[in-house]
Amino acid sequence: MYNMMKTLTLAKQVRRDIIDLTYKAGTNGTHIGGSLSIVEVLSVLYNDILKLNKSDMTDDTRDRFILSKGHGAMAQYAVMHRVGILSDEDIASFKKDGSSFSTHPYMNVKKGIEFSTGSLGHGLSLGVGSALALKRKNNVTSKVFVMMGDGECDEGSIWEAAMSASNFGLNNLVLIIDKNRLQLDGFIEEIMKQDSLEDKWSSFGWKVYGTDGHDVDAIYKTFSEALINQKQPVVVFAHTIKGKGVSFIENKYNWHIGVLNDELYKKAIEELEA
Amino acid sequence: MELNRQNIRTYSLLGSHRTFGQIALEFPKIDDKIVILAADQCSPAGLEYFRDQYPDHYYNVGIAEQNLVGIAAGLAKEGFKPFVTAQATFSTTRCFDQIKINMGYMNFGIKIVGLSAGLAIGQYGATHMSMEDIALTRAIPNMVVLSPADCTETAKALLAAAKDSRPTYIRLSGWMNNPIVYKEDYDFEIGKAITLKEGSDVAIIATGTMVYNSLKAAKILEEQGVSVKVVDMHTIKPLDKQAVLECSKSKLLVTVEEHSVIGGLGSAVAEEIALYKEKSRHLIIGVEDHYVKPGEYNYLVKQVGLSAEQVAERILKVL
Amino acid sequence: MSNLEKYTNAFVTCFEVDEETAKRLKYQDISAWDSVGHMGLIAALEEAFDIMMETDDIIDLSSFEKGKEILSKYGIEF
Repeated sequence: MYNMMKTLTLAKQVRRDIIDLTYKAGTNGTHIGGSLSIVEVLSVLYNDILKLNKSDMTDDTRDRFILSKGHGAMAQYAVMHRVGILSDEDIASFKKDGSSFSTHPYMNVKKGIEFSTGSLGHGLSLGVGSALALKRKNNVTSKVFVMMGDGECDEGSIWEAAMSASNFGLNNLVLIIDKNRLQLDGFIEEIMKQDSLEDKWSSFGWKVYGTDGHDVDAIYKTFSEALINQKQPVVVFAHTIKGKGVSFIENKYNWHIGVLNDELYKKAIEELEA
Repeated sequence: MELNRQNIRTYSLLGSHRTFGQIALEFPKIDDKIVILAADQCSPAGLEYFRDQYPDHYYNVGIAEQNLVGIAAGLAKEGFKPFVTAQATFSTTRCFDQIKINMGYMNFGIKIVGLSAGLAIGQYGATHMSMEDIALTRAIPNMVVLSPADCTETAKALLAAAKDSRPTYIRLSGWMNNPIVYKEDYDFEIGKAITLKEGSDVAIIATGTMVYNSLKAAKILEEQGVSVKVVDMHTIKPLDKQAVLECSKSKLLVTVEEHSVIGGLGSAVAEEIALYKEKSRHLIIGVEDHYVKPGEYNYLVKQVGLSAEQVAERILKVL
Repeated sequence: MSNLEKYTNAFVTCFEVDEETAKRLKYQDISAWDSVGHMGLIAALEEAFDIMMETDDIIDLSSFEKGKEILSKYGIEF
């Protein structure tokens, strides 16, 4: 049952976790901007939308979630930890040398990390293959969720996959585009224009939805609507703010990867707790 | 399946690319989890029969090699066994990152069937020549790289791959009316080189189409009193080190391949023997580091110096 | 078996047709005589007459009648 307060609390904890994990990562920094932008969407997904058997993440009846924007892994780990999929040890090993839980997802079937990602533009093809496989298995109850960044849409392979998803009639594939309007080098508008991105997806045969990506109620309602009686591949544009929640990180492209020293950490925590 | 004189000759006439389409018809009998994905290469691969007989086991993803390998990875993750196919050059260079991440890093047992490798469709120009595919694929951890000598071995390699769980690149070289090296059925094992001919002066390790040319070159050399051993190295990776060790004991070790001299069979052998205390000199024969103008297959083989006569001549020069 | 019998037999076996049909056949008249079936026929003819055909001849063999003409180049008389 959807419980807005529970999901809001989760999102709040996760945002705080991201700040803590970044602080602990020290001078190497983390991909903090793009992690903060997906906190609410991931919280809704893991709390209210994805069908998962937390005691057996390989359960074939599960929904598959693929983080194509691999640099958002820190947010995914934090959410998975808070909902009881990842252990305290798992999350404590984040970015430690030799860890399985590092900057980008490392395939870990038992723990529910479906694929290794990090090289952008791969996740949607993996999703198309997974969705085709579910159909081959006559698994009509599971769905495949893929989360991408808007900057990631620069990759040509995304459009190969987009075309094939509608060609193969994948009504079990749900894509989320984290539209935070920034890529590593700056505002997307200034780097590589993506004029009317929604129209592009629509013209590729996808049903397009949009939501405020930081409003858990709106996100939940959008997914609920998109998933009912799905007839074709669906894309949900989550309109977000890169670095959401911390004023000096928000909308700053140079916080794609960021370091929190003592002073900035304190300031960030103060803002989150205000 | 039984390989006999008649289907062996039929495959040779069809060429290795369309032999794939015939052998694919055996796949569902071997493993129902096998699916085939083509990147708009159904008819060059002779897959129309498979498509029509097993439509549920077949996908055409269009001219999109990155998506080809990515979709295959999704299917492999869920327990299926995808064979994917496109021209050798596009199925390797065009989607190298997908191969690296999905087949190497995540170790999915996808099989890539690279059609018309080397100079086979060189009439279309250097865009369609595949001189780097062995170098690329063998640089990736976990990969198995197969390079059958003729269409009989193409059949054997495909059938072996269908029963193998490892990520594999199968390089199909040569053109229609492909010369026959193996006239009858024989034992084929991935990773185990086949000595086709013994000899004491020169040891030739060849792969793909160059196995046949090397046998012919050996004949020319023997007429001049040089005793030549010829080994079919159908598996470039994992390399049969024992076979290499034995060849390194002759007066001259020669590798011959229809592939760049950089990074292919010659390099693999050179890497292996580098630390041997006693070894013969090693002549690497392949396509030199340049592009050739388009042309018909047999013309191109001569242009790059890979005809049997040219191979024999080059060996004599350094002997 | 006469050469004509051997020759006809190759068509009958490869394409699963009766002799009368075989004698009227042209390339792609029936689904069995497609590009792959063609190579199967060539292999059968080579085996039956113990010959190795040239690529041009393989391509030119476009009908039952034409085939007889081509095989005569290899010393096979009908």
